[in-house]
Amino acid sequence: MFKSLRRMLVIYRPYRGKLIISQVFLFISAIASLASATLQQRLINQGIEAGNERVIIATSMWMVLLAVVAGLAMAGTAYYAVFFSQGTGYYVRNALYRKIQTFSFANFDQFRTGNLLVRLNADVQNVINAVLYTVMLLLYAPFMLVIAFILAFRDTPSLVWMLLVVAIVVLALMALIIPRVFKAYDDRQNQLDDVNNTMQENLTGIRVVKAFVRERLEIEKFGQRAAALRKPAFAAAFLVAFLNPLLQGIGQIARALAIWVGGEQVLSATLNIGELITFTQYLALVITPLALMAIVVPFVLRGETSAERLFEVYDAEPTVQDKPDAVPLPLEQVKGQVTFENVTFAFRRPDGQLDPPALKNINLTVEPGQRIGILGATGAGKSALVNLIPRFYDVQEGRITIDGIDVRDVRQDDLRQVVGIALQEALLFQGKIRFNLKFGSPDADDAVMENGARAADAHGFITNLPEKWDAPVARRGYNFSGGQRQRLSMARTLTGQPRIVILDDSTSALDVATESRVQSNIPAFSQGATTIYVAQRISAVIDLDNIVLMQYGEIVDMGNHEELMQRSQLYQEIYESQLGAGMMSAREVA
Amino acid sequence: MTASTASASKSTVNVPAPERKSDLLPVLGRIMEYMSGGQARGRFLLAVFLRSVGLIGLILMPWLTGQAINVATAGGSGSELAMWCIAALVAGAFYLALSTVAERQFADLATRALENLQTNLFNHIQTLSLSFFDRQPIGELLSRVTNDSEAVARFYETAASQIIRAIIQIVLVLFVMLVISPELTVAAMVVVPFMLILTFAVERISSPAFAKMQEEMGKISGFQEESISGHKVVTSNRRQEWAGDVNDELAGSVFDVGSQAFFTSLLQFPLTTSLIMVMTVIVLFVGALLVLDGQTTLGVVIAFSGYAALLGSPLSDIANLSSTTLNAVAGGRRVFSVLDEQPTVVDAPDAVPYEFKGGDVVFDNVDFSYVPGRKILKQNTFHAEPGMKIGLVGPTGAGKSTIINILTRYYDTDSGRILIDGQDLRSLTQESLREQIGVVLQEAFLFTDTVMNNLLYARADATKEDCIEAAKRANAHEFITNLPQGYDTMMTERGANLSQGQRQMITIARAMVANPKLLVLDEATSNVDTRTEKLIQEGIMALSEGKTSFVIAHRLSTVRDSAIILVLNAGEIVESGSHDELMAQKGFYYTLYMSQFKGKAPGGAESGTADFIST
Repeated sequence: MFKSLRRMLVIYRPYRGKLIISQVFLFISAIASLASATLQQRLINQGIEAGNERVIIATSMWMVLLAVVAGLAMAGTAYYAVFFSQGTGYYVRNALYRKIQTFSFANFDQFRTGNLLVRLNADVQNVINAVLYTVMLLLYAPFMLVIAFILAFRDTPSLVWMLLVVAIVVLALMALIIPRVFKAYDDRQNQLDDVNNTMQENLTGIRVVKAFVRERLEIEKFGQRAAALRKPAFAAAFLVAFLNPLLQGIGQIARALAIWVGGEQVLSATLNIGELITFTQYLALVITPLALMAIVVPFVLRGETSAERLFEVYDAEPTVQDKPDAVPLPLEQVKGQVTFENVTFAFRRPDGQLDPPALKNINLTVEPGQRIGILGATGAGKSALVNLIPRFYDVQEGRITIDGIDVRDVRQDDLRQVVGIALQEALLFQGKIRFNLKFGSPDADDAVMENGARAADAHGFITNLPEKWDAPVARRGYNFSGGQRQRLSMARTLTGQPRIVILDDSTSALDVATESRVQSNIPAFSQGATTIYVAQRISAVIDLDNIVLMQYGEIVDMGNHEELMQRSQLYQEIYESQLGAGMMSAREVA
Repeated sequence: MTASTASASKSTVNVPAPERKSDLLPVLGRIMEYMSGGQARGRFLLAVFLRSVGLIGLILMPWLTGQAINVATAGGSGSELAMWCIAALVAGAFYLALSTVAERQFADLATRALENLQTNLFNHIQTLSLSFFDRQPIGELLSRVTNDSEAVARFYETAASQIIRAIIQIVLVLFVMLVISPELTVAAMVVVPFMLILTFAVERISSPAFAKMQEEMGKISGFQEESISGHKVVTSNRRQEWAGDVNDELAGSVFDVGSQAFFTSLLQFPLTTSLIMVMTVIVLFVGALLVLDGQTTLGVVIAFSGYAALLGSPLSDIANLSSTTLNAVAGGRRVFSVLDEQPTVVDAPDAVPYEFKGGDVVFDNVDFSYVPGRKILKQNTFHAEPGMKIGLVGPTGAGKSTIINILTRYYDTDSGRILIDGQDLRSLTQESLREQIGVVLQEAFLFTDTVMNNLLYARADATKEDCIEAAKRANAHEFITNLPQGYDTMMTERGANLSQGQRQMITIARAMVANPKLLVLDEATSNVDTRTEKLIQEGIMALSEGKTSFVIAHRLSTVRDSAIILVLNAGEIVESGSHDELMAQKGFYYTLYMSQFKGKAPGGAESGTADFIST
């Protein structure tokens, strides 16, 4: 039971002492609460009934002291419970996140970003809760029960059975109600998600709603969702609100029963009144911890499920790993020849099966310093092709070499310093522009960074910002336009001064003029670097001497614009559709 | 959203109103109105009544058991003892039974209140003009609306009935305590101020600590979101180690503030326990002295200590629920601010439906600004005759999308007139106008529903046959029938399981189902493959056939065949005319056009010398 949570115990090994102290505190607070109740017996019998004022005063003082002790001990437990739960959170967040940092692209394809984030948030939170409640409450009820049993055996053995009955009744009722509460809350959450999703769709699509004048339909749709939420929300609200009066009622009923049964014994003089009153206190004292224990159990179960999901990530192996005997690839010695030899590559689906090949039998050599373009439609395999060069994925067949060295034989770190890639999605990070541009090479000179930005045509708009290079970048770079983000992303790649520059459709949001400016700047900046332009838009490659035309995972042709215009029908079609369609239809109209 | 509205939004972003103590009660009253006002009033009063009567049962119990104890100590009869105890048990059963009924009532009232609030809010949002939505990022509005109404929901569902119960219980218990023994009541009440002060103190410390923790949690999850979705950038730049360190530091902050928040809030538990124990001791102590003095009996003291316990729990409940209540007030304040928002574009009182007479559109000296003083359109004048295709070109932010926004009357103009078939736009009902003007937006927005339902969305009385017919004309039929469930295939969120081109074709088909008389097309900039591009263009041609249409173009090739091309720059129409006329002028449009071809234009047009301009 609790296999995954127990696997986590290794975290606590250094803190075993603290764990024990926390439970000792818990035990002390249980004893203090019950001892205070025992003293009532003394107060009544030897104080009130015996008319002894000194006993009354002394006993009261002791009881106050016990109240303070109980409170302090409980606070001590709370302290450790928080320490352990938050500490677990810290540890797990860290370990898991660092594990994720070792992942290769294929691992991310398998888990998906959203999924990983849910695990890092909700699942970690569930484990934190489980630890908190376990440390703080799980043993409280058993402690209380055991001590109460011992004390009752000593003083009122004839009533002990009632303690047992009350414990069983409370646990049974809780076992009945608590799972329903959790279920009701889950249902409620699901319905609430529905309500919120409807709201989200409506708000994001508000222009469509208004354009088609369908507000009434939307209102009806939302009304149904909101109404559907009411049922589980009702169950959750009722059960939670009912718990409180239920426990109060049970407490009072148990007390009345005890007084009845005990009262008979008092009448027959087998029990004195002080003992009876004390016993009713025991009853009252065990009910709340029992109820709390019942509440803890589902939290622990939930924590176990979440812990399992966390270990699933933790146990995943990065798909691309350095060989033990991987050789260094010194940046300054690389000339920049890239060769694909008979490369076949397929993505792996989350279930582990291979998709149909994204690349088939690719043979291609890019000479040092050469500038080539790769053109093709979505799904032609362009991105897959360039993603293999920095070894984001490993090929299934064939090999890719840089200056004749297989990319799988060198360290990934070295390789990725040599190969700079500006990705399709120009993602920036929160921080300053300077931080973003030097992201891949924190030690780069400012001059290199500024020239890199100049080459990427970003220098102008950066220096127009009031804070210039220290201007803030929002999360994901949302405070910049798509075109600006792409230029910053290219500048980031260039600042690393890689020997092989790959621009993976990274000018798609730029206008043609800017695009060609960037293209003519790059060779001057990264002297002698091999440059690969990937594009869907013909204007991005039209000027290059060598255009590789791809379709369905294969290289179908290669040449410059004029050559391809002459011999490739596919190329002509692309050209017509992107630059000439208007002319065609204009002709037709005429 | 266009760049112009984006920049406009910056200056009008809604800053949440600063916390004002003074409106606490009015806002709370408005929140409670949903639960206790109007139709709900009768049932609410009934629930309160049942609650009170039920509590009397609970409150009788210590007294009844106290009587039983008196019988036991006084050596009374067994049957007398049994009588009092049975009476107590009956009172207990009565209490539980009435509690069940009352809590069900409250839960029902609470969830109905929530439903009403949610639907009111949603329905009201539907009536608001686009200016409201453009004023803030949708994500922000959404999280406000959902989080704030959830804060109110928590109050309805968990706090409202508990607070009501606690107040009734305190009043009743205090009353009984005073009746039994004013001296003991004073003794018991000694700890109450301490309890209140300490719980509020804990609350004061822990609630900002939790806010701080939420903030830190937001930071770490924001970073994780950013760095994990950007893992390609992290990996390709070899910054995994750095990312791990940043995460470590952020997790450390969460640990620090989280520990503080949880520990202070958990202190509530020992504090209450200790103070209730102390309260019992004081009652027993004072009671014992009174018994010794002969002023009262042991049974009374025992009963009284029972009451003291019944007083302690509602007091701590109220303290515990204070944060829920304050959060609900803060949430409610923002929810009500949305509910109090008035639509900026409203139909004139004597508005008439738009009558289509061919689709003749006149802009007469139209000025427009999103923010007063910052004109986005300046003196726009043009005339579109029935069936004409009007191309709108110009750099980003020139005002192309704005023309569309005011033509569909999402915004009202500052000055000047827009006449559509001779009728002033302001004299028409918005609904009739928008039913006749079809809009195909740049971003192909589809609902999470089946393909068919997405098409049916366009018109209330559309049939499935209409939709299939439209899909065929929009070139979408073929790929739709190839989907796993054909027209019944579910679109995942925002149509993510289709390619961008396919989504565009569906939106074109959807516009065809609506069968508008005029058309607005905001051309997509996305890259689609050649074949799909051709299909889309054919679909658009079929859609706009014979209709007055306005096309916002990002690639000039799509507007070359327009009857009139309006060239906008900084809100002004700087050139207008057909493609050939504009090319002959060798002005703004000419430069724009030539830059696209980089000197490799078909037909050997010599353009190598043309200046590139950046749009």
